[in-house]
Amino acid sequence: MPRVKIIAKNFMDMVASLPAIKLDMLYRNQFICEAILRSLPPLAKKYVLQMLYIDAPITCKSLQEWVLADGFSKHNVAIDRLVQLRVFEVTDRKKETTYKLNPTFQTSLRKHLIHGGILPREPMSPNVIAKLPTSEELDAYALEQWECFLLQLISSGQAEKSSSFGSSMMRIFQRGLLRQREKEAPRLTDCGFQFLLMDTNAQLWHVIREYISNSEEQGVDQADLIAFLLELSFHTTSEAYNLDTLTDDQTAMIKDLADLGLVKLQKGSKESWFIPTKLATNLSVSLADTTSRKQGFVVVETNFRIYAYSSSKLHCEILRLFSRVEYQLPNLIVGAITKESLYNAFDNGITAEQIVTFLQQNAHPRVAEKVPSVPENVSDQIRLWESDLKRVEMTPAHFYDEFHSRDVFEAASDFARIHSDLLWEDAKKMHMVVRAEINTLMLEHLHGKNR
Amino acid sequence: MASAPSKLYADDVNLVVVLLDTNPFFWSSSSLSFSQSLSHVLAFFNAILTLNQLNQVVVIATGYNSCDYIFDSASDLNRSYENGRMPVMSSSLLQKLEEFLIKDEQLSKEEPDGRIKSSLFSGSLSMALCHIQRVFRSGALHPHPRILCLQGSPDGPEQYVAIMNAIFSAQRSEVPIDSCYIGAQNSAFLQQASYITGGVHHKPQNLDGLFQYLMTIFATDLHSRSFIHLPKPVGVDFRASCFCHKNTIDMGYICCVCLSIFCKQHKKCSTCGGCAGQKKRGQMCDCRLEILHLSP
Repeated sequence: MPRVKIIAKNFMDMVASLPAIKLDMLYRNQFICEAILRSLPPLAKKYVLQMLYIDAPITCKSLQEWVLADGFSKHNVAIDRLVQLRVFEVTDRKKETTYKLNPTFQTSLRKHLIHGGILPREPMSPNVIAKLPTSEELDAYALEQWECFLLQLISSGQAEKSSSFGSSMMRIFQRGLLRQREKEAPRLTDCGFQFLLMDTNAQLWHVIREYISNSEEQGVDQADLIAFLLELSFHTTSEAYNLDTLTDDQTAMIKDLADLGLVKLQKGSKESWFIPTKLATNLSVSLADTTSRKQGFVVVETNFRIYAYSSSKLHCEILRLFSRVEYQLPNLIVGAITKESLYNAFDNGITAEQIVTFLQQNAHPRVAEKVPSVPENVSDQIRLWESDLKRVEMTPAHFYDEFHSRDVFEAASDFARIHSDLLWEDAKKMHMVVRAEINTLMLEHLHGKNR
Repeated sequence: MASAPSKLYADDVNLVVVLLDTNPFFWSSSSLSFSQSLSHVLAFFNAILTLNQLNQVVVIATGYNSCDYIFDSASDLNRSYENGRMPVMSSSLLQKLEEFLIKDEQLSKEEPDGRIKSSLFSGSLSMALCHIQRVFRSGALHPHPRILCLQGSPDGPEQYVAIMNAIFSAQRSEVPIDSCYIGAQNSAFLQQASYITGGVHHKPQNLDGLFQYLMTIFATDLHSRSFIHLPKPVGVDFRASCFCHKNTIDMGYICCVCLSIFCKQHKKCSTCGGCAGQKKRGQMCDCRLEILHLSP
C-alpha cells in the first residue's frame, strides 16, 4: 500500500505552488519573508543571507565552491527548495546557470534587518480590557481546545464536547486519516496512526493545510489566509488585539482558529479582541525540518513498563495504540509494552521506528538527558518484533519447466540472468523461477527460440 | 596541539555570546568609526535573531578597565518589545552601551607609560564562559552556545595566563570561540583561541564590508560548519608570555611540576611553591627549553 507521509513541509509546498504574481505580493510583507526564511533548511538560510547585499547574479559553480564535499546533497536540496519557493531566480545561459535573489524578497528582507518590521496592529491598552488570562490559563485553554479537536477528529468517544466545526469540515480534516466501512465505526488508517504519533506542530500544519485548500474551493483567497497565518505567528502571546483590525475573511478564519486553540476570543463591553496562544506563536518554529523541542512526559523502563506523567485523554489514546495501558491515575498513566500490543500496532500500519521516535521525542526531562533516553533493550526488542513479521519476503514470480532441450533452458536462464531477474534455477530438472516483470519478454524470447 | 573536533548538532539553534571591543584607545585610531561598525554589528544581530525563533544573542562589552553585559535577547525586558519590531533596535542596547562607556572612563587611573593599550579581554571571556555554564545547567533544551570576539585592540601580555585558562576551559566545554580581528596587527591570543577550541579566525581585509564578512563567515551555525568552507588557520602564533614579567618570550625556563614559564631562572616556582636545590615539589630544572613555533 503506498504510504503517504504527512509532514509539515506540505504547507510550504502549498505556498510554493502559488502563482508567481501572488508569491511576489506575499513577499512584500516583511513578516512573511521572515517566516519563509525560517522554514528553509539551514544551508539555504545561509545562502540567502550571504546573497542579501549582492546584486549581480552568481554562477552555479561559485555557489558550489562554498560547500565542502560532504555537503553536496544538502546543497542540492537547499538550492531546489530556494528555486521552488521562487526566492532564487534562475537564469539559464548557454553554458551555465546563474542565481539571483528575488528582488522583492531581497528588498523586504533588507528593510527588515535594518529597520525591523511593524505589525499592522498594536496590542490594546490595559485600560480597555477587563482582565487578561494569565499565560498558564492561556496555555491550558490552548491545550484543551486542541485536544478536544483531535479527539473529535479521530472519532473517539472520549471527546467531552464537540467543537463548532461543522460535520462537513470534520470530514474534510479526516480525509486520508479515517476510513469508514458500512455498519462499522470509522477506523483510523495507517496514515491516521502516523498522524497521531507526529508532534503537535506538524499535526497543526496538516490541519491548517486542509483548511486552506478547502477555503480555496469556497472562493476565499489562499494567499490572504496564508499571509494572515504567518503574520499571526509574530504576534505576542498574552496580548490582546482588537478584532476590528481584521478583514472579513480574517474574522471568519479567527473563529475557526479559536476552535483549534490558536487564539482565544474575548468580549468586552464595547469591543472584542483575540489573544494569540503559544500554539500560534510557535508556528514558525516548526516550519523547518528541525527536531521538536518540547517537554516530554514518558518514562520507559528496562522492564518494558511505561509511566506517562500526563492526565490527557489524548496521550492515553496514543499510548493505547502500541502498549497495554494498565492503570490510569490522576496524574499518571501506567502501561506495558507487550508483544501483543506491538503486533496490534504493526497490523495497524505503525512502524517500529515511529514508535521509538515517539518515545524518544516525548521522553520525560528526567530521562531525556540520559543517552539513550529509551533503554536499548526496549528499542531493540521493538525492532526485532517488527522484523519477526517481515521474515518472509514476497516477490511475484513465474515458474518455468518442461523445457525441450538443455540449450533452450540455458539460453533462457542466461537471458533472465542478464536482466538480473533470475530468482532460482535447478539445472538438473531444468526448472526455473523468474521475476514477474520479465515474463512477457521471456515468453517472446522463448517463442523466438522455437522458430 | 590538535584543534577540538566539532560536535555534530541536529539543528541550527544557536546562542551567540558576542564580546564587543569598546576600547576608546583603539577606536580613536581605527579607520572604521565606532558608530559605523556598530551599525554593521546591529544588523548582524538582527540577522541571527531572524534565522531561527529560538536563537539568542548576548552582548558583553570589553572596555579598557572593565566589562559588562550590554544586551540579552532572552531577557523579559526585550521580549516585550517583540511586537513586530526587531528587539535589537530597541534603545535599551544603545543606552546600556553609553552608560557602560561612561563608567569605564571614570575607572581610568594614571597608567605608567609604555603599557600596551589593550582591552580587558580576559574579563569578558570569563564572563561569557560563566554565562554559558549557566545555560548548560538550565536543562536539556538549551541552544548550542558559541562565542564571537570582535576585537581590534592589541594583545596585552599581562592577560596571557587568564586568557589561556579561559581558552582551555572553553575547549573542555566544547564551546567554539570565533574571532574577527579588525585591528592593524595580528592578535596571537585570538588566533590561539580559535585554533584550540575549533572556531574560526578571520581578519577582514576591507572594513567597509564588515557586515558581509560577518554574514558569510560568522553567522554560520554550528550545525552547518561541517558542510561549508570556512577560513582555515594559516599560521598560528603560539608564543607564550612569561609568568613573572608578562613579556612575550621565545625561550625560557619551565617548572617541572606545574609547567609555568619563566624568563629567568628562579629558586622557587611562584605558582606551585618549593625550592631549588632540594628534591621537593617545585624544583626548577636547569634545562632551558625552547618554545617551538608549532605549525598546523
